[in-house]
Amino acid sequence: MDVTAVFREALFGSLSSVFSIAKVVIPLMIVMQVAKDYHLLDHLSKYLKPLTDFLGMSRESGFPLMVGLLFGLAYGAGVIVQSAKEGNLTRKDMVLLSVFLATCHAVFEDVLIFSAIGANGWLILVARVAAGLLVTYAVSRRLDKTGKYGKVSLSNQE
Amino acid sequence: MLFQSMKQGARNGIETTLMLGKIIVPIYFFVTFLRYTPVINFIARIFEPLMNFFNLPGEAALILVMGNLLGLYSGVGAMEALSLGTFEITLLAIMLNFSHSLFVETAVSTKLKVSGGKIMALRVSLMLASGLVFGTLAGGVLTQWM
Repeated sequence: MDVTAVFREALFGSLSSVFSIAKVVIPLMIVMQVAKDYHLLDHLSKYLKPLTDFLGMSRESGFPLMVGLLFGLAYGAGVIVQSAKEGNLTRKDMVLLSVFLATCHAVFEDVLIFSAIGANGWLILVARVAAGLLVTYAVSRRLDKTGKYGKVSLSNQE
Repeated sequence: MLFQSMKQGARNGIETTLMLGKIIVPIYFFVTFLRYTPVINFIARIFEPLMNFFNLPGEAALILVMGNLLGLYSGVGAMEALSLGTFEITLLAIMLNFSHSLFVETAVSTKLKVSGGKIMALRVSLMLASGLVFGTLAGGVLTQWM
């Protein structure tokens, strides 16, 4: 094998991948930072009531749900822990948020990055959100049936 | 204020790009060199029956393993280095989107006092189920469409 040729291929290939990703990640991060600083999510999460109702979550879950969906799991988890400490979330909310966000988080970032390397982003987005909703709904119904997790918040447990 | 936010956002974007670069570049190098050794054919042959079930080539197993153990963007690096088609990239992206960086992200669930094992099982099942739906069942249609 011609080592220099392979090296050159790897170098150019990897750098051009990183460059195509930079072209979507930098604008996306600018939009997300503006959204964060102007508290756009606070406003948006008000409109999530139909969704949180459907999933059997309390109204207060809307904000952490939105944050995790857009900004990612680690950041979302931080907001969830914070909301739980303030006593706004039930145990059921916590379980459902974890289930939903485990299947579905940082959607724009992931979808745009995969689109940048040649995937069909719409299909990824639809598959992911649909699966997240379906699984969370199923778990929610199951929890209702088994009667587990009443209105106990994390702060009360501790 | 708006300008400050945008500047901060651009900084975050550059940081994220560098962070991704640090993962993608080495993996890309590794997989590119691997492609010129017999090891890749060996991997491809072993995983061929399983991967063909999802309408994927055998070497795609490498991407799924890397994505699950090392993280989503290691999968991206491997995917790019193997130069696959739109259908294969989309299908692998869907599968990896459900299940990736299992060790790191499961730790996040445990922090929320939710069973890590169950969340891990859920994610791996979703990965396999999505491979079944979009690869095995819809693969024929999707390859035509893409």
